[in-house]
Amino acid sequence: MISRKISSFWNGIKNFNTYIISIIISFKSIKHLRFRSIFTIAVNQTKFTGIDAMPLVASIAILIGGTVIIQATENFPKFGIEGFIGNLLVLIIARELGPLITAIIVITRSGSAITTEIATQKQHNEIFSLELMGIDTKLYIVFPRIIASIFSIFSLIIIFDIVGFLGGYLIAVTTVYIPIDNFLTTVMDAFSFEDLVITLVKSTIYGILIPLISCYYGFMPNAYFEIPIYVSRAVIRTVWIIFLINALISAMLYF
Amino acid sequence: MEEIELLKLENISYKSQKYESLLNVSFSVRKGESVVIFGPEDSGIINLCPIIAGLTQGYEGNILYKGKSIKSLNYLETHRYRQDLGYLQRDYGLISNMSVLENISLPLKYHSNLSTIEIEELVDNHIKEMNLTDCRNKRPVYLKRSERLKTAFLRSIILSPEMLLLEHPIDGQCLFNIQIFFQALKKILLTKAMSAIFITYYPKLFIDLADKFIMLHKGHIVFTGSRADFSLTDNRYLHQYFNLLPDGPMAEL
Repeated sequence: MISRKISSFWNGIKNFNTYIISIIISFKSIKHLRFRSIFTIAVNQTKFTGIDAMPLVASIAILIGGTVIIQATENFPKFGIEGFIGNLLVLIIARELGPLITAIIVITRSGSAITTEIATQKQHNEIFSLELMGIDTKLYIVFPRIIASIFSIFSLIIIFDIVGFLGGYLIAVTTVYIPIDNFLTTVMDAFSFEDLVITLVKSTIYGILIPLISCYYGFMPNAYFEIPIYVSRAVIRTVWIIFLINALISAMLYF
Repeated sequence: MEEIELLKLENISYKSQKYESLLNVSFSVRKGESVVIFGPEDSGIINLCPIIAGLTQGYEGNILYKGKSIKSLNYLETHRYRQDLGYLQRDYGLISNMSVLENISLPLKYHSNLSTIEIEELVDNHIKEMNLTDCRNKRPVYLKRSERLKTAFLRSIILSPEMLLLEHPIDGQCLFNIQIFFQALKKILLTKAMSAIFITYYPKLFIDLADKFIMLHKGHIVFTGSRADFSLTDNRYLHQYFNLLPDGPMAEL
């Protein structure tokens, strides 16, 4: 049983490795790619992953921002560390929760959609017909989604942070009194250029990984009944990998 | 018709896990020539077009396109080779989230140097010729079967390929639509001097279009001949196939 699991895990890694190599090979033909052919895909993906997700990201950011701010303003004075509220907000919201929750929203919303779309296209022989037209399917399908995903995730993280701070503040003032100038000063003091760079790094890594893994599982099903199985795998494994990568990035950049 | 050999299959053998096999299949297609390949289910005809298009690997033998083995083509050359083939799949394979116009324009947008306006003009002309104007902006799900066939056909010829591969193009179509489709097909084949390979279960319907007929049974070629040979032959396999006889060489083990 355990050996079978290990063997299955190892085969999965080998398959993913083959998939990555095939994408690298595809990039050989990028100079022949006319961007107008992928422009619509990139725009549609950016709209779906970025613009359409904004209300969801903003509402979750307000709720999380409010919760964190309420907890911090209520409990920090008990430990005599109320002066560090801004630092805590930057640490929790901007550095960790913002990128992580944005990534989870993108995975569950767009990642699952990407896997389902590709899997359905494969079953309808649409991927096959792209190959027959001499279109490099890896480049045509994966590349615009990566571009859209990087751009969308970076924008959503920034929106999450801003809404998380300001919206959270508005929720928090209904329960505890915090002067706005104090709040903004402590947050701005705690925020550094490094945080912005790390947001960019995280959004680039997540923006590459989420569509890459989602597409990988989209290409896998060989029958319609397998589609939900692979969509579920795509979501669970991408979430797990994003948590792992997030921990690694934090460990590497902040230690 | 020119005597230039465009495509040559040399002793192609292929064992498929999913479908029937091919055993030592050899034939050639000259420039401008149309070939009908037919046979019963399990004859191996289903494997031929994907092998010719370089999508199925692991076969024995050699396929020469303009004298060059397709096995020797590198990654980019394989994609270029596929641009030379207009492939019409059995289920048409139209992209479901694209309109008729977008489906037909896709190969041009990806491969050609034409501007977007020029592409639209060219595609619109074809759409008009095929009486698809009313469904220009419709997605495949809203199309009738004959409209899907016409759309897929236009997409396969839009790059003016040297050779057409048509897999069971008329399956599920009414006879009236088949005649309209054949008229358009004939016009294209003649005006552009394209070669064509038709895979079908109904070879007699192609009698006015094809120059050569090949029948496969259990992976072997059991008949090859011209239009006249096809009409006049006393080949036992063809006799059994067309008369739907339970007894004959195809029933033998």
